[in-house]
Formats: sequence, structure tokens, C-alpha cells
Amino acid sequence: MPEGKLCNKKPVSTREELDALLGDSNGRQYYAEMENLDVDAEKLWATIQKTMKSRTKTWLEICAHCGLCADSCFLYSVNGRDPKQVPSYKIQSTLGEIVKQKGKVSNEFMRMCMDTAWSKCTCCNRCGSFCPYGIDMGVMFSYLRGLLHSQGFVPWELKIGSGMHRLFRAQMDVTVEEFVDTCEWMVDEALEEWPCLEIPIDKEDADIVYMINAREAKHYPEDIVEAAILFHIAGENWTMPSSGWEMTSLSMFAGDWEACKMQVETVYEAMERLRPKRMVATECGHAYRATVIEGPYWAGRPDGKPPVECIHYVEWVAEALETGKLKIDPAKRIKEPVTVQDSCNYVRNAGLRECTRIIMKHMAEDFREMAPNKEHNYCCGGGGGFNGIGRYRKQRNDALKMKREQILATGAKFVIAPCHNCWDAIRDLEEEYEIGIRWSFLKPLLVKMVEVPEHLLPKE
Amino acid sequence: MYEILTGPLLWIAFAVFFVGLTARVVLYFKGLDWRLDRVAYKPHMAAGLKGGVRSVYRWILPFGTHSWRAKPIFTIMFFAFHVGLVIVPLFLEGHAVMIKSGLGIDWPSMPQILADVLAIAAFLGGVGIAIRRIVLPEVRILTDFKDVMLLVLTLTLLFSGIMASYHTANYSFWINLHILCGVIVLLTAPFTKLAHIALFFCTRIQLGMDFGIKRGGMKTNFDW
Amino acid sequence: MFTKILFATSGSPCCDAAARVAFDLAARYNAKLFVFHVLGTPSRGFSQVVVDLRTGEKVELDGDYILWVKDELKGTYDRQLKSGVDCEIDAAVGVPHREVLRKARQEDVDLIVMGASTTGCESDAQEYERHFAGSTLQRVAKASKAPVLVVNRPVASFWGGFTNIVFGADFSKGSEHAFKFALRTAKELDANLHLFHAIDIGSSHGFISQKELDDRMIEARDRMRRKYLIQTGDFKKVTADIWEGIPYIEIVKYAREKQADLIIMAHHSKDVSDESAVFGHTLEQVLLRATCPVASVNRPDKIQLA
Repeated sequence: MPEGKLCNKKPVSTREELDALLGDSNGRQYYAEMENLDVDAEKLWATIQKTMKSRTKTWLEICAHCGLCADSCFLYSVNGRDPKQVPSYKIQSTLGEIVKQKGKVSNEFMRMCMDTAWSKCTCCNRCGSFCPYGIDMGVMFSYLRGLLHSQGFVPWELKIGSGMHRLFRAQMDVTVEEFVDTCEWMVDEALEEWPCLEIPIDKEDADIVYMINAREAKHYPEDIVEAAILFHIAGENWTMPSSGWEMTSLSMFAGDWEACKMQVETVYEAMERLRPKRMVATECGHAYRATVIEGPYWAGRPDGKPPVECIHYVEWVAEALETGKLKIDPAKRIKEPVTVQDSCNYVRNAGLRECTRIIMKHMAEDFREMAPNKEHNYCCGGGGGFNGIGRYRKQRNDALKMKREQILATGAKFVIAPCHNCWDAIRDLEEEYEIGIRWSFLKPLLVKMVEVPEHLLPKE
Repeated sequence: MYEILTGPLLWIAFAVFFVGLTARVVLYFKGLDWRLDRVAYKPHMAAGLKGGVRSVYRWILPFGTHSWRAKPIFTIMFFAFHVGLVIVPLFLEGHAVMIKSGLGIDWPSMPQILADVLAIAAFLGGVGIAIRRIVLPEVRILTDFKDVMLLVLTLTLLFSGIMASYHTANYSFWINLHILCGVIVLLTAPFTKLAHIALFFCTRIQLGMDFGIKRGGMKTNFDW
Repeated sequence: MFTKILFATSGSPCCDAAARVAFDLAARYNAKLFVFHVLGTPSRGFSQVVVDLRTGEKVELDGDYILWVKDELKGTYDRQLKSGVDCEIDAAVGVPHREVLRKARQEDVDLIVMGASTTGCESDAQEYERHFAGSTLQRVAKASKAPVLVVNRPVASFWGGFTNIVFGADFSKGSEHAFKFALRTAKELDANLHLFHAIDIGSSHGFISQKELDDRMIEARDRMRRKYLIQTGDFKKVTADIWEGIPYIEIVKYAREKQADLIIMAHHSKDVSDESAVFGHTLEQVLLRATCPVASVNRPDKIQLA
């Protein structure tokens, strides 16, 4: 059987195909079909020749095999320093081998590559900053994921996630109507406590357009209303687009570059339509990476920048606190020890390390740094799609151990994680290891802690 | 033997070395592709170069990066090895004499004692690196035949050079072996991992530009 | 008086008492009943795994599973379903309070009936609890436009209709809405309405002088009259009492004395996510202890006087 019914080289293009995939419990049939999926060696080699130019080629070729990357990789550390978890080994034995064989590799080999690319690397890019040559194996794994995706070797959940983006321009099936309705509903619920609160939809020429992660719209819309309340208190002139509000990109995790382009173009279209001065992105790491850092290149923008200036939520909060738009009630500052999770995607890979420190200066009385921290922080353990793939659940749970040790070492029982993936991973970490910690995004804390100007309070 | 090695062969070797490495550098930068690498090199050249220079600077500084500081023993071995391999051949009195007689240029040289110290340190560093390669499982798994040969070659080069400089009984053996190794290094450099002599700067600059332009360099400098 | 009732259930035996009340109410008022179950909290990031709220197990979500859950619910409420109540069974995936509120909004229900949180139901939802501190009930009660009727102890479900309604007043804004609901309910059912306020002396650390207590008593009487009694108009079956003590204890004692079959209170806790407040709140304590259903009212939308 060259192509499976569910597992094949063709990305999801219809609702029926998506439903068929969703109907396959645990992806059992999907993975069974994968065992018989043909490798199109010719196409694979052609793709490599077309897309692997001097940077990646040199990286593969020049690696001195010095092993300095070993200890930079948390997956190497948590797996008992297994030499097979050394980043250089992982990439050389997969991508390196495919290149060496000029694409002529077996189905079994491709499945091994899939397992390596999605369960032995979270594309956190930490190894890249520890290699003397600057060989970024996270970037190469991302490239490998693209190759695997083009051959149909992609974890079941990510084929679905990527399909969602293709069909709905969001990682979840939230339509324009549902989204707008959810915003209205949220305002309606909050109105009594926050008179005059608004979530302005499709307002043109606002100062800020706010964009989110689809899970907020679908499962915890409180997050949207909290953002609204904080913009309201800060007196911002802001809006949300009715379409193009979804910043995440499971297709990035999947290596489905075509879907990445489709998704990000929808977002840029919203920016161009509404012409805001700036875009503020919700507390999500990969969403920011996808829309702000990588997105411009998927969309083919030569300056590598999105259509408008884009800032992450931590940047907006830091700015609002520093300029006094938001003021923390001194009596409500966090008294207990608290630590912050630096997200790889916007700290290591977007230079925002100082923002959360500024925020903590305002919010916390006993802020504890993790070690290592900032751009050298370890991945939460669930990045790059790791959190959501059932096939690699065990590996993901092992991966959480590094964060567990880091958190325990701070002595803090409260972790602020302004990133959906980190937040999820830390929640799962508590569920798995029960170390007695609590965790939160920034918004719910800020809503409770900021001083509310008299005129915004409800009249009793 | 000595005449052959220091005659035309040496000149050919130098030509291959310089032309080959220059070609690799040129091809490297020509092969960079803003779409494939997802780095907008040209529109943000200034930020990119700043990132590139910072990245090279921090990494050629001993203990200049988190990575170097995380592995102090390796770092010492590494720098001893590389400083010796780069500085000694360039400024050794014996080499300066050859340049003077061959090209008629007054080449600066360093005191012999310093050269000796550096060369021996480099040799010991190299031996340390070789032992590390065998002993540490995370390095052993990466090691292939080429890596071993490269170490054998450079260590032989260093050792023979040191032996030759002491004018021992077997001077001509050591000096011929030394020059032979040197010629092999020069001839193979552009085509093997030795190309990192030049490509190190290329890949370092590239990643520095990547971080300088795209991954936050316009907001904060990456703390390598 | 109720045309659409939403019964939000975990499907476990601890919701049986609430089920009895929900089906009885629907039958009595000829209302449409929506039996609604949130079958899982989405978990594992974007994966298709949900945590089954009944078993706490992680299950792979697909269409079959939802159908199976609906069948289970049908089985659970088999006897009640045969009673001829117009009933619709539905299940959804999501964060429980959010999905209950979503359903209530979609169907525009007049009343939500839920089991309370102490007899084991919430331990099912432990998974959920840990990442959204504060109970589902609390969150539903805070945001719901419709009154939320909570049936905690089985004993609270054996009642014969509403004849004695106790309204626990605290003079807050939410309390005004709650009062309107209480008054309307009493009028429509021709029940006795007992207005009650407890002066809180439990939480004051110092010694309270009789003078101060007297002053507070006078003030409370005055507020009771101005805020509530004035609205009763020609409805005569109203009494008002003010006691002092720890409010939740006093309310429960008072309800027992008046043989109340319904307690109506405002849910006005602003801070639902503070874990310490989960059971520290007067309403929560009343829910725990009352021997009759307790209705929590927080919003005016669904309680306009007919």
C-alpha cells in the first residue's frame, strides 16, 4: 500500500478528511498505515537539493563532533545522559543520513526520523547557543520536520492541527461568528463589574490590535476578557479582528510550511485591513514566534517584519507598568516566593528576556530566578508540539523533570508562565510529579493586582 | 625529500589552501538565502553585522561564552590547542627564516621559548582533546574515522615540529614528517573539516546575524 | 415561572439529589429540561485527549465516545426520563463552568440546577480543579444570568414544593437581584417569604459592645426596610428578622426554624479564584449545611418581576 487512507503525503484539505482523522482513536489506523507508507526518494532528494543550501549543508558538514551540545540539551540530561540524545548525534543520524543516502531511505528509517524529530527535540534552539560553530540543531530539526511532513511521516495530532489551520485558519474549529459571539458574551458577563467594558471588533486605525491563541476563544474565554479589562484600565485604544486573530501555528510544529503561510497571511491581512499602530500578542510563545519571528518569511516579506510592529504581551505589560498606565496596588504585590518561566520562543528566540524581570520588579516581593535563566533557560519540557502528541506521552513526561528540578531549586511554589505551552507543561508537571506548585498566566494576576481608577468602578 | 617538500609542492599546497578556503568562504556567503534561512540579511545589514561581530568576538575569547564557562577544562584544552596551532606556525622563528629566504619578506617572529611553550601546550591540549574523545561517551558516539585522522594529523604535525626544533638525532626525519603533515594540512584544508579555519567565522557570523536580525538582536543583544 | 431549566450534572450519584429536584421542577412547571454533562476538560495542549470528569481518566475523544456518554446519561436518568418530562440530553467537551454557561446562554434558560461540590462530585473534577482553582459551581454561580439552584445533601431534595422561602440578605447589589427573585417566587407560589439578615460578629476579633450591636441592629433594620420591605407592596406573607452571629450558621438555623424549603441568596464574591475563599464564603457554607435547596442569584437578567 503506497498511500494510506489517513496517513499519506497529502495534507488535509476537506472537512471530511479532517473528521476521518479525528475519528481514528489514538491515531491507531493512522500509525498502522504509516508502516506501509512509501518513501518517495526522488522527490525527497529533489526537495533537499532545492532547499538545503550553504547554511544547513555547512552545518552538517563542519560539525567537529566535540559534544559540547550534549549538556546543553535537557533531553540528554533527563534521559540519563544517553549518548543517543546528544543533539549532534540526533541530527547526524537522521537528516545527516538522509542527505548521505541522497534520500534513498527506508520506511522504517523515516519513522525513526519522525520519532527523533518530534520526541527527542523540542526545537528550543538551546544547543545552537552552546555550539562554537553556531550550529543550530533546533533549526535543522525544524527543517527535518518539513521533509518528513512532505513525505507523510508526521504525528497524527499534528496532521490534524495543521489541517485545522488549513480549514479554519485556526488550530481549533472556531468560526468568525463564534469568535465574535464569544467576545460579546464575555463582555456581557463582565459588564456588571466593569461598566463600559468593550471588546471592540474590527475597529480601524486603533493603537493596538490584540491577537490570541484559539484555545482562549474556544475553551477559556476568560483570558480574552481579562485582556480586555487590562486594556480598559490602561486606557488603550484597541481592537480585535473578527478574522485573523489566531496567532498560533501547529503547522509550524508539523513542518507544514504551506499551511504556515496560509495561516500567517490571514493574520497579516487583518493587520493590513485594520491598520493598527501596533499588534499585541497574547501570552503564548510559539504564537509569537510563528506570527512575528518566522511568519514574515513564510509570507515572503523581504524585510522579515510583519506589516505592523508586533509586541508580545510581556512587552506590553512591562511598558504599561513602567509608564504608569497600569499600576500595581502595593498592598497586593505577591509576597510569597515566585519564579518565572522564560519561554524559548520569545526569550531565547526573540530577545525579550528583560520584560518579565521588569514586570516582576513591579509585581513580586520575592522573585526567584531559575538557573539557568533568560536566553539560557531550559525548555519547559513540552515545546515544539511535544505536549500534544499522544505517541510521545512518556517521553514528554520524562522531559518535564528538568523543569521540575529547576523550579524546586528556586524554592518558589508559584510559577508564572506567560506562555500557553509552558503553562500546559507546568500543569502536567504538577499532575505527574506533585511537587506542590501553582502556576498562572500574567493576566489573571494583574486583573487582581492593578489599581483601578475610580471612574471605571461600578457605581453602587 | 626536504627539497621536494619545501619546493614547488609547498607552493602548490599554499595555493590550494588559500584559493580553496577563499572559494569556500565566497561560496558560503553566496549560498546564504534569506528565504531558506529565514533571515533578512540585506535589509538589516547593520544589525546583522553587529550580531555577527559580537558572536565571533565572544566565541574567540577564552571563557567568553556560557558554553566555554560550562566546560572549563575543555575550554583550556581547546584554546591551548588552537592558539598554539594558529600563532606558532605564523610567528615561529624557523618559519620566519623560510619566509625571508623564500619571499624576501622580513617576517616578525616570537621568542623561541614562547613558541616552545605554546607548541607544547597545544600538543598537550590536543592530547587532552583526543583522550576526551575516547573517554566521554557523549563525544565517543559522535566520533568517526575522519575525526580520529584529523587529530592524528595535527598531533603528528605538532609533535614532529617540537621534536625538530630540538635538533635531535633524527632531525631530518622529524622535519620531513613535520613538513609533510603541514603540506597535507594545507592541501586538505579546503576539502575537510579543516575548512573550519575559515568556515568557523562564516557559520559564527551567520548565526550571529540570525540572532542579530531576527531573533531579538534589535531588542537585546544575545548573551552568548 | 420556569420554562427552560438546565440541569448540569456530573452524572455521578452525588448529583442524584439535584436530579430529583430538577426533574420535579420541570414536571411541576411544565418546563423543558436540558440534562447537560461536560464530559471532559481538554487536556494535553492541542491533543484530542480529554480528562473524563467522571473517572479522572484520560480518554481519547471521538464521536463514539460522546455518543457513549449520552447513552450512559440516558441510563442514569432512565426512571426520570420515563416520567414524561420534555427532556434533552447533551454532552460537551470543555472547561466545565464555561460549557455550562455556554449552554445556559445558548438555550436562554431560566434556571440552572446543579449538585454541590462537597459530596464527591468535585473530586471527580480534581484534574480540572487543580488548574482552575475555585469550583465549577462557584464560577457558574458568579457569571450566570439565571438563578442557580444548588442541591447538596440528599435530604435537601425531599421537599413538597416551595412554601417557606428564606431570603438571606446582605444589602449588596447582587442581593437586590436575589430579593427580586425571592419575592417573585414567593408571589407566584403563594409561599411565605422570610427576609433574614445576620449581623456578622464572628469575624470581628475584638469585643463588641452592646451599644455597638444595638446600633448595627438599628441600621440593619432600617436598610432591610428601605431596600427590601418597601418593594413587597400588597404581598402580605412576608416576615423579617435580624439576628447576630456567624452569618452562615445563623442562616441555616433560621431556615431550620422556619422550615424553609428554599434559601435564596446572592452570590457576590468577587474573587472566585482565590482558593481560600472556596469554602470560606457564606454562600458556600450555607450550601454545605442547608437541608433544603439553595438558590444563588447574581444577576438581574432572568428575574424581572412577571
